[in-house]
Amino acid sequence: MKPSTVNIKRAPSRFKHQVPKYKITRSDDCINCGTCAKTCPYGVHERVEGHNKMKRPIDYKCIGFECQNKDFCCVAKCPRKALSLSLNPMYATLGDYRWTADMITGTWIMAETGLPPERKDIEYNIGNSGGGFDKLRFKFPAHPKKVNKSEISTEIPLNRRNDGRADVVISTPVYGGGMSFGSVSLPTMVSKAHNATIWNTFTCTGEGGYPDNLMPYSDHVITQIATGLFGVREETIQRVKIVEFKYAQGAKPGLGGHLLGEKNTESVAKMREAVKGTSLFSPFPFHSVYSIEDHKKHIDWIKEVNPNALISVKVSTPNDVDMVAVGSYYAGAHIIHIDGGYGGTGAAPDIAKKNIAMPIEYAITKVHKFLKDEGVRDAITLIASGGIRTAHDLAKAICLGADGVVIGTAELVSLECVRCGNCESGRGCARGIASTDSELADLFNEEWATQRLTNMYNAWNVQLVELLQKFGMHSVKELVGRTDLLKHIDYSHETELDHNG
Amino acid sequence: MPKKYHIHPKATPLEMDYIYKFKIVRGDNCINCGKCSKVCIYLAHKRSEADPRIMADPNTAVCRNCFRCIQECPRGALEKSLDKGFVNTGGAYWKPDMLISLYKQAEDGNVPVSGAGYRGPFTGTGFDSMWTDMSEIVRPTRDGIHGREYISTSVDLGRKLNHLAFGAEGQLISKVPDTVDVSLPILFDMPAENLSSNIKLAMIKAATELNTFVIMPVADITNEFEKHSGNIIPRLTAAEIDGHKDVLKNARIVSVEYDAALLKDFAGLKEKIKKISSALTIIRIPASKDVEQTAVKLAHAGAEIIHITTDYRGQELNNPSGRHLKDIIRAVHLKLVEDQIRDETTIIVSGGIGAAEHVAKAMLCGADLTAIDLPLLIGLGVRIFEEQEKYLVFPDGLAKIPTPIITQRMINLISAWHSQILEMMGAMGIREARRLRGESGRAIFFEEIDKDTFGKLF
Repeated sequence: MKPSTVNIKRAPSRFKHQVPKYKITRSDDCINCGTCAKTCPYGVHERVEGHNKMKRPIDYKCIGFECQNKDFCCVAKCPRKALSLSLNPMYATLGDYRWTADMITGTWIMAETGLPPERKDIEYNIGNSGGGFDKLRFKFPAHPKKVNKSEISTEIPLNRRNDGRADVVISTPVYGGGMSFGSVSLPTMVSKAHNATIWNTFTCTGEGGYPDNLMPYSDHVITQIATGLFGVREETIQRVKIVEFKYAQGAKPGLGGHLLGEKNTESVAKMREAVKGTSLFSPFPFHSVYSIEDHKKHIDWIKEVNPNALISVKVSTPNDVDMVAVGSYYAGAHIIHIDGGYGGTGAAPDIAKKNIAMPIEYAITKVHKFLKDEGVRDAITLIASGGIRTAHDLAKAICLGADGVVIGTAELVSLECVRCGNCESGRGCARGIASTDSELADLFNEEWATQRLTNMYNAWNVQLVELLQKFGMHSVKELVGRTDLLKHIDYSHETELDHNG
Repeated sequence: MPKKYHIHPKATPLEMDYIYKFKIVRGDNCINCGKCSKVCIYLAHKRSEADPRIMADPNTAVCRNCFRCIQECPRGALEKSLDKGFVNTGGAYWKPDMLISLYKQAEDGNVPVSGAGYRGPFTGTGFDSMWTDMSEIVRPTRDGIHGREYISTSVDLGRKLNHLAFGAEGQLISKVPDTVDVSLPILFDMPAENLSSNIKLAMIKAATELNTFVIMPVADITNEFEKHSGNIIPRLTAAEIDGHKDVLKNARIVSVEYDAALLKDFAGLKEKIKKISSALTIIRIPASKDVEQTAVKLAHAGAEIIHITTDYRGQELNNPSGRHLKDIIRAVHLKLVEDQIRDETTIIVSGGIGAAEHVAKAMLCGADLTAIDLPLLIGLGVRIFEEQEKYLVFPDGLAKIPTPIITQRMINLISAWHSQILEMMGAMGIREARRLRGESGRAIFFEEIDKDTFGKLF
């Protein structure tokens, strides 16, 4: 259920055009009669009063082949048969195997409207990667317990240790990943924090310091401590409810952090207490941590500095991630946050993104089981990230054993990231999301960005509640570890009719 | 401290077009307002130099796919698509993105870095069906890539002893065989294509500078290469040995084509080579269905170095439905381990090695080192087509490009690969490339983990 602070408002694209899936071609047979402009309810065709000719069709407004079943379809209505409909070749340049063009488009619609897309022609829940989440489907019971949507809770507690520290509960089992000031722009960072406050959840500073603009949202910000210790001060640790140790990042496990010199602008350098224009590297690993005992010492240090804070430990997903998770529990962590190999990044060697460490789907399963066997699963919160793209990925991750997830790319896509992958160099993001360039970082305002994020979180929450209703559950907590509610299209061969999705 | 190994890359662009991914076309409803040139941060859009009233054709070579011009053009006059040259080049193995990346690495020698997460399929065939592992917190011998100065990529070629034997007085009585050290686990294998002499010479010079070798057919080794004979491995059949004594005399390693007859009198072959030169011998075997059996027999017969070759996509030769190099290496390695002779022989593998990750992965599967051919040519702008059959297109004028430029591009490419191998080794917490060999505990194989995780659950 959403908190009362959530207010859904339309937040349309900041660009004049969107990326079209379809293409309407007008042949020379057109006599500029204007029939198409009159029939199309979506505004694809326009005939300006006083002009001789029709304007070029606005492709992105077209709903595509499903229109052929409607009685207002321009292709059928054109008296000269001058119009034809096809897939737009431009669509093939958007997205990739993991984030398909449909998935990006779907996320844009969610960020604009606050609801899952009504369009039937886009598959926004499943990517094209051919593995992991993309091969998992839900199995819905034929006769679920009747549950009203209003009775369904999506809250999860983050402190399950009963150790007298803060009882932090988030209203939706999703929070924002660490993106440093420097890797992303200030409006991006502040809107993430503002949205986290609206949704009663969290966002994370990443390793680039704690800009003053985040202060109003301190109760919903996680201070990250990574190996470079950029921006880590006593007051930034004392200010927050959760402190996160970042040991490694899924996109570049074992390689530390990189901010290339071009993105280290004056304001970034100031925040990080570094010299403008130099490349900033966070080394790997923490040189103060070479054993699980050292790790405990680390956690004790933070607990001493902030007696009320929860401790989150962010690690990537090597083969022995399960052991690391258990070790973190015994060292006193409240949250074990595992970041899978296919996670996002502002800059990483391609070789690392593709090859190092395992995808999150395996790691969740492994860690959940190991914690359970150890008898400590109920005393720690398991958070998964690195490849959670959609509300369905979220629900699947929880079924596999996570309590909740952290997202990064999905938030940026809500702000109209196209995943072109050029965040790392030069002036940074051409779309102003992951850039601190003086011109580019000013392409949108916080208000618009906050609304887009709030809308997207809402659309996910709506989808999650719908799924829980189909499962007959009152709380998302009941979903944790329910692998029996999933099937895998390679391994499962049931014939019952009662599941789809 | 021993001298550290350094490669010196240098930006070396070629004046030619390679593959571009995107194509932008300006429609005739463009009103030449210039909005696109204002919003594009990569300078793809400019006004025409001849007539500043109109916009020039978009320079799609620099397009980075940010969609700003597309979305902000007031008339929606710009259309973008995947370039035909991009879509049609390469194939299922040599993907066009991979070709572009190799070309770029040869240009600047940099590790390819990008933003946003991985964008490819979850898994694939061959080397794409495995991940390398990393170590999280508790391995004290590691410094990630920031200790890269201390990571060694050198490997040895040659026979090793299973154990040392000592006499009653404690004196060493084993005769320790000679080995040859290469600074990185990559040899150059002269491609079968008819290459111009500048490319051949550049391969030899680059190998010399990198402290590695070029394997080349003995017939190609002319007097002009004599200066570099220490870095050339002549490749020949057993029958050709007598006819090329002068070449063999200077070589540190020779490569002899496998023939079933070799096994009958392997000692005789070694004796024959020994009379001419002190060179180590590679036996080169095309991978077939039972190549692991042959490899074991050769190892027992005393072969120092075995070079297993596959086709250009890493498939068993003459058997398109056969195994991929990854599985062949694992089979050979495990068979030799089973026969307790793995440590005594060196395994080189080649065919389908098309990226730095393949080198590290081939080693994790059990190879000591790799040999590469096509990536060096791709770095020079050669295009590969896989359909209907393997076909290479050489850029016009390649034969006229000065050798130093070609040499530098090859050095750049290997420098980028070397750095990437260091990245992977750093993440794995492995400081010695020799230790990568067969270290399957640092590898995650898709078939195994998927069955172990999802296979058990569903």
